[in-house]
Amino acid sequence: MKKQEFIAIIIFLFATIGVVVGVFAIEKYRLSKFYTVELIARAPEHGNWYPAKIKVPSGKEATILIRNIETVTHGFAIPDLNVSAGEIKAGEVKVVRFTPQKKGIFPFMCTVWCSDYHMEMRGELIVE
Amino acid sequence: MRILLKIILLVVTGIIFFTGLAFAEEHFFEIKAKKFSYTPNIIRVKIGDKVKIRLVSEDVTHGIFVDGYGVETRAYPGQDGSFSFVANQPGRFTFRCSVTCGEFHPYMVGYLVVLPNARFYLYALVVLFIGGANLFFISKKKA
Amino acid sequence: MEKEKLFGLIDLNWRFELTKFKLVRWIFKSRWFPLLALIFNLSVFIIILLAGFIGGYSAGNYNFGVMIVWILWWVLLMLILVPFFSRMWCMVCPFPLFSDWFQRGKLFEINTGKHRGLNLKWPKHLKNMWVMNIGFLVTTFFSGFFTVRPYATFVLLGSIILLAFIIGLIFEKRTFCLYVCQVSGFQGLYSQFAASEIRHKDEEICKKHALKTCFLGNEKGYGCPWLLTPFNFKKNTYCGMCLECFKTCPHDNMGFFLRVPGKDLLIDEKRGMDEAWKAFIMLGIAMVFFLSMQGPWGILKDMVRATTLKGYLTFIAIHSAFSLLVMPGIFFVFSYLSKLASANKEVPLKKVFINFAYTLIPIGLGVWIAFSLGIILPNGSYILHIISDPFAWGWNLFGTANFPWTPVFTGLLGYLQGATLIIFYLFSIAYGFRLSKQTYPDLNQAKRGWIPMLCFLTLITLTFLWLYLG
Repeated sequence: MKKQEFIAIIIFLFATIGVVVGVFAIEKYRLSKFYTVELIARAPEHGNWYPAKIKVPSGKEATILIRNIETVTHGFAIPDLNVSAGEIKAGEVKVVRFTPQKKGIFPFMCTVWCSDYHMEMRGELIVE
Repeated sequence: MRILLKIILLVVTGIIFFTGLAFAEEHFFEIKAKKFSYTPNIIRVKIGDKVKIRLVSEDVTHGIFVDGYGVETRAYPGQDGSFSFVANQPGRFTFRCSVTCGEFHPYMVGYLVVLPNARFYLYALVVLFIGGANLFFISKKKA
Repeated sequence: MEKEKLFGLIDLNWRFELTKFKLVRWIFKSRWFPLLALIFNLSVFIIILLAGFIGGYSAGNYNFGVMIVWILWWVLLMLILVPFFSRMWCMVCPFPLFSDWFQRGKLFEINTGKHRGLNLKWPKHLKNMWVMNIGFLVTTFFSGFFTVRPYATFVLLGSIILLAFIIGLIFEKRTFCLYVCQVSGFQGLYSQFAASEIRHKDEEICKKHALKTCFLGNEKGYGCPWLLTPFNFKKNTYCGMCLECFKTCPHDNMGFFLRVPGKDLLIDEKRGMDEAWKAFIMLGIAMVFFLSMQGPWGILKDMVRATTLKGYLTFIAIHSAFSLLVMPGIFFVFSYLSKLASANKEVPLKKVFINFAYTLIPIGLGVWIAFSLGIILPNGSYILHIISDPFAWGWNLFGTANFPWTPVFTGLLGYLQGATLIIFYLFSIAYGFRLSKQTYPDLNQAKRGWIPMLCFLTLITLTFLWLYLG
């Protein structure tokens, strides 16, 4: 195989497999480095919060990345801990930072009327 | 030729403007927003009218943005939004949902027609004029 | 031959060679081009597919795949690439890369030997636009899904690339691009209007050159993958601008020219019902797209996004009937009137119908450009968001991830759309009378026969003007 053909194939691999691997590697690194947990917001009929239960250690700053992957606006709040992300528009990603001091189970919920089942859109934060 | 066109244009806009001022009214519209359309979907006012709009959402959060006028408001279920403006540009303008409300959100539009729709008539006249000119020149053509 | 002048101003035979600039010629003759551009495009395409797959059923307006394909690419195609640069998209399109590689066995180098795959010839009666006509029309049935749902875009693009590969296994060279690809048909049709062309420079050199390396290929490049004869082809329709002929020509006789837009419309070669119908279908689709996407009627939107099966089927039925029957039907009536008015009994009605259908190409392109303005001006700002956060994971590559939705110049939208329609109406009627002269042998017949067609074109222009502005 000649040199140029070889270079072309390398560039091709870089542009295809390289891109895919690179994208996932960056994302994995980013999530593990900067965020405690990733939370996906969906209306109850489309799967609700995922994961529905999230665990964070007490006394340490928790960083939750909330992704609204839906087509309507959602919100996020943990009333007991006085934490709120406000509105999270469709396709938007928001980050909440807080340091839970007391252990226990605290409900979190959507704060924007997002569907007929909006009231069921809740989950639990477990502080250990 | 060009001067004649300019004069016509001036006269037309003048008439539109002054009749507009003389008969300016206030209009109030309550627009209901529901995935993915507005009711009413077409609102018609006359030039110079004061337009007041209240947006009511019937399902999720919606918004309204009027092309050309740049006014915007949003409505949450149970919480209306409103704005008012003076319709001082003639023509048909699209108003669009400004809050992502679902997959068809980019297609959620309505029309604000500020009468008389001078833009449309002017363009239509130009088309007819060109067509007529074409016919005229072609009839003069010799082999 | 007397000089034909467009609008009485521009010589129709005027052309300006861009490849006379050393840099351009060097690029066009290099084997790395368009390969590198194509591979770069492929990487963007990979991101589109990935974003489409990850995006699932989320809102399309914040999805990289949906926005790049249906806002940026589509608008770029209609607004710039096709009207100015003909099939330049085909030059860098990544779809046929895999089948090319498979057939040739080489990515960069030239395989002068036998190609892999079955290399069958495409059936002769399908060597036209019909498959693409139907394919494109059927694709638009799903417009309410793939322009808004990332996953639908993923499925659509994924299946096209798969189809391109499969067709490449069975049929020779770029058969897929020529006769199957949905996007190819309208590009071919409208590229006849384009302001540029790839042609030979000097006819005499080609005549003396006995071994047509541009068709057969040599050690510098492949014989025309689009199965054209670069030494004498006259229309842009089926030239995919792959640039192989620049490489294979030993006399450096191929050129890339700027030219008068619409020149190909007057070339009576391979005109046919297939291209006529393509023109009708494109106008029909533009109308349906406008009504459902930029119109205020919720009931149409519910039909297009299939809230009820009945509504969806009604949409498909009306949409197909309108593009395939109603539009051609109305046009047929006007063709018949044209023949009557001309008082020429010899010219077959079919010829009148086909020839005049080419007058719909400029105005059709104008309609699409005006439609595209209605997409890009209100929604172009989403692109700033999605390039910074292509997978909606909360990235911010260029710091524009939180750029809010900002409509740009939408107050001028109506003016721009109206002006576009008028400009392309001018082109349509300028070429229209010339086509009339080609159809009817006698000047007076041509004059009389032109009147009904002028009425039809004026009517079509006014209709779209009313849709966009009225």
